[in-house]
Amino acid sequence: MAQYSAELDGVLVALADPTRRGVIQRLGRGPTSVGDLAREFPMTLPSFMKHVRALETNGLISTVKFGRVRTCALSRDRLALVDDWLAEQRRIWEERTDRLERLVTYPTEK
Amino acid sequence: MNPGLDLALDRVIRAPRVVVWNAWTDPSLLEKWWVPAPTVCRVDRLDVRPGGGFVTRLSDDGVEFVPHINASFLVVDDLERIVFTNAIDSAWRPANPAPVPMTAEITLSDHPDGTDYRVIVRHGDPAARAHHAELGFSEGWGSVTKQLAGVAESQAAR
Repeated sequence: MAQYSAELDGVLVALADPTRRGVIQRLGRGPTSVGDLAREFPMTLPSFMKHVRALETNGLISTVKFGRVRTCALSRDRLALVDDWLAEQRRIWEERTDRLERLVTYPTEK
Repeated sequence: MNPGLDLALDRVIRAPRVVVWNAWTDPSLLEKWWVPAPTVCRVDRLDVRPGGGFVTRLSDDGVEFVPHINASFLVVDDLERIVFTNAIDSAWRPANPAPVPMTAEITLSDHPDGTDYRVIVRHGDPAARAHHAELGFSEGWGSVTKQLAGVAESQAAR
C-alpha cells in the first residue's frame, strides 16, 4: 500500500502540469518522436525534455531510440493508477458500509 | 460533488437510526467494522463533537499498531450527521495526508425499512499537493480526469 501510494504520488505530480498532460493527450493518438512532440509545445527543447523525463521517470511514458530518433509511447497501465485510486477509495467505503450494516443488522453475530 | 474527485454512496440499512449512530460513536462498536478483518482496529480517540478528535490505528498481528486515521470532526448533528476531515489532525494541526486529504460526510435519516445511510467523501485536489511541494502547478485532478477522458476517447477512435 505504501508502495502503491508512492507510485500514485509520482503519477499525480507528473500529471499536475499542463505541458505533461498535453504530451499524454497527444500520445493517446499513438507513439510520436520527441522532435514532432516538441514542435507542438511553445518552449525550448531542453525545457521540453525535462517534461519528457519527468513523465518517463514516473512511468507514464516509455521512450525508445532508433538511430537518431527518440520515440515516446504512452504507458496506459500507469495512467490507470489515478482512476484505480478513486475506485479503491469507493471500494473501501462500500465494504466499510457492508460491515457496518452487518453489525447493526445482526448484532449478535460477531 | 465533483465526480472526478468525490465519491458518494447511499444505502438503506435495516436497523433503527439510533443503532447505526451508536455503531459510529461507540469506540468498541466502531472497532468492529471500521477496517476489514483480520486487520485489527484500535480507536484511540472518538470525540464525536465539532472539533473533537478522531484517531484510529491498525494492526495486522494485534501487537504492533500503525497510524491509520488522524482527523477532526467538523460537524456533528446528533443522530443525523457526522462530518470529519483529515486535512486537520486531531490536534487541529493542518495536515497533508497522502495522496490527498479528504472530508467525509455521513448522513443518517429515517427510512420505512430502517435508516437511509449516505456517505459523501470529498477529496482534495492533487494540484494543492503539488503546489505544496513548491512545484507551482495550477491545475489539478479535474483536468487530469478530463485528460484521461481525452486519452480514452482518442484510444476508442483508433
